[in-house]
Amino acid sequence: MTVRIVTDSLSDITDENSGGVDITIVPLTVLFGRETYIDRVTITTEEFYRRLTTQNILPSTTQPTPQAFADVYNRLAEETDEILVITLSSKLSGTYQSAMGAIEMMEKQCRVEVIDSETVAMGLGLVVLAAARAAQEGMKLDELVHFVHQALPRTHFIVYFDTLKYLAKGGRIGKAQGMLGAMLSVKPILTIKEGEISPVTRVRSQAAGIEYLYNFVTSFQHIEALAVEHSTQPEAAERLVDRLSASFPDKPIVRSIVSPVLGVHAGPNAIAATVLEGT
Amino acid sequence: MKQNEVITGQDFREMFACATAWLEKSASDIDALNVFPVPDGDTGTNMLLTMHSCMEEAYRAPDNSTSAIAQAIGKGALMGARGNSGVILSQILRGLAQDMAGKESLTGADFASALEEASRMAYKGLSNPVEGTILTVIKDAASAAQKLVSEGETSLISVMEAAVNAANESVANTPALLPILKESGVVDAGGQGLYTLLEGALHYLRGEAEQIQFRKPQMVASSVPMTARPSEMIAADEVPFGYCTEFMLKGQKLKPDKVRTKLEKKGESLIVVGDDTTVRIHIHTLDPGDIIHYAASLGTMHQISIRNMDEQHRDFLEMQKDKAPAVDIAIVAVVSGNGLAEVFSSLGVTAIVPGGQTMNPSTKDILHAIESTVSDKVIVLPNNKNIVLTAEQVTSLTNKDIEIVATETIPQGVAALLAFDFEADLTTNARLMRQAMPAVRSVEITRAVRSTKINGMKIKRKQAIGLLDGELVTVGDDTNSVLCDTLAKLDLDNKEIVTIYFGTDTEQTEAEQASIAIREQHPQLQVEVIRGDQPHYHYIVSVE
Repeated sequence: MTVRIVTDSLSDITDENSGGVDITIVPLTVLFGRETYIDRVTITTEEFYRRLTTQNILPSTTQPTPQAFADVYNRLAEETDEILVITLSSKLSGTYQSAMGAIEMMEKQCRVEVIDSETVAMGLGLVVLAAARAAQEGMKLDELVHFVHQALPRTHFIVYFDTLKYLAKGGRIGKAQGMLGAMLSVKPILTIKEGEISPVTRVRSQAAGIEYLYNFVTSFQHIEALAVEHSTQPEAAERLVDRLSASFPDKPIVRSIVSPVLGVHAGPNAIAATVLEGT
Repeated sequence: MKQNEVITGQDFREMFACATAWLEKSASDIDALNVFPVPDGDTGTNMLLTMHSCMEEAYRAPDNSTSAIAQAIGKGALMGARGNSGVILSQILRGLAQDMAGKESLTGADFASALEEASRMAYKGLSNPVEGTILTVIKDAASAAQKLVSEGETSLISVMEAAVNAANESVANTPALLPILKESGVVDAGGQGLYTLLEGALHYLRGEAEQIQFRKPQMVASSVPMTARPSEMIAADEVPFGYCTEFMLKGQKLKPDKVRTKLEKKGESLIVVGDDTTVRIHIHTLDPGDIIHYAASLGTMHQISIRNMDEQHRDFLEMQKDKAPAVDIAIVAVVSGNGLAEVFSSLGVTAIVPGGQTMNPSTKDILHAIESTVSDKVIVLPNNKNIVLTAEQVTSLTNKDIEIVATETIPQGVAALLAFDFEADLTTNARLMRQAMPAVRSVEITRAVRSTKINGMKIKRKQAIGLLDGELVTVGDDTNSVLCDTLAKLDLDNKEIVTIYFGTDTEQTEAEQASIAIREQHPQLQVEVIRGDQPHYHYIVSVE
């Protein structure tokens, strides 16, 4: 039986960019005050960013409940005896705990392995996509766990934020704290390091930010897969995609929108790039 | 609990229990923020112990009406208040209780009104209220709640949300009001504690009491940049803190106001709260015996605690050392003008050496700044052509690894600083910073000190002159016109950002006018105007 792959909505994997591989997504929840939305299910990313930027209410997010994962495990257990769950960094959300907690709540016999990716967005997404393809080709659970652990250190996620305002308000600023409160308008470039948001450098404009992202990607010798994401400006992301396609004509570039859950912290005009380094 | 419009007594108690549990998760983080009034690192713990005393009483309340539980919480607060912030918190809780007397349940409007009373009580207990503390946070939370109610909102959860949001912003802004917070780069610990309690209450109202066991409160990030102090100012403060003295006084006709007046001159951070039969006293004094002696003449003393704050402070410094972010590479910059110093500090400079054109610092000044940093790898930004050589002398005088990134202007210094890569090592960073320098052009507008002829231009003494990357290129009588003429030498259509730092000789309005003129001609440009406070130079402008 094929191992089934489960991840959360922070992987930024959608029906459009998954290339038809079988992945089950457990969504996180977005709260605008008392209004509750299921990430990408009851609120579209476009609608989310419209509200984020036009309304004076700062949304918050919550992880899926253990029950939500247990429901998914029970359903998949009808069709398989092995499930691999890969979640976003446990330092940014309790999703990993929920996924772990759900194992005890299962009613069906089925092996479940949960991996904390220690990353987010397409940093997680590219690894999940690779794992799903490997599963489809028949890789079994133990091998897959090894495969994912090998792949995670090779994924490099980097993101340009137009502002640190949202990240600071959400309290997830991590080691980027030192970038706050600059007297000039500066735009941070951030990454995920050991599961936490971590500063890389600062630029003064989006154009300079995209340049930095481009140079970052092209600094890798071997590239297996690439992803480019935006929060509100698809055209700016496309400019980066065009330049990268010219430099790497044989590499498909996965396009996505930064999930509202991450968008709560990223804010508008963010652009992200992810490299899955080749071996 | 969902869709909370109104809550009853039991929910009210559970809401407090949830708030206390939420505070408990971050008490030690709050301890670490504590720098005011005395950096003894116990704010979170004291607030938590105060809340524990409240909850004990709350479970002993005679009935389950909101009023009875609120009164019990207020009583528990007075009995168990610990430390400066704990006593102020107890005033807040007593204010809440007082306003809720006789209420069976709690609506949004009731809560807003109770917050106002809480704020009033908190200020009342202090002889010398200081802004930028828990006081400001309760005041801001109360006024936001009241505003929402006056706009017609009735539900408790909405009012609580407004209070939480306002408290968050208020905490983030505390360093703007209290300089010691700004210098230490922290927000107020007591304010953070109060915000955490309100947030915990909101979690309860949202029905998240179960989920929060997996989560942890976040510390509010300061919205104000930390100011790196000029290196010569970083000397140990040797003033003793004395003893934190606190106790409960029981008796008859105690008159808290009279007690407060009597003790006012005997120490710092005095708080006297309570009623005619029970008074809680908190004071930082060099002579606790004096205080105890006076109190003994009024009634009986209970829960007496006298702690040596100098000892506590030493322990706190040890704790801070463990918690402080490791500065791998320190950056020292030569800058003159408070505004520019703030710009450089806000971008991560560890130590500032005051100096610039016509007041070049000595090698010793720079060496002193380098030695004052905790890191053993230091990058130096001279920011002036005439200081580069002086800075280079330092390399042989210290055991630390030094890289001099030879910035010749302020804009080059900022560009180099921005290019700093948090992941890279010293040599790589020095290279990245040097590479970033040519990407920025520097324009400086100053006055000629004597009449002369340079580059075919006749210059009269005191005329405005414009320099482009250090070369004199324009002269004129009006500063703003000289600025525009100098900028015109650059291909502004292909530039993105112009940053204007105006000096002490220039009015902000004048600088704003220059900015408008530039934007009119080049609408694609992003123009920023920043107070630089630099002497001699009307404008220092970076174009990139």
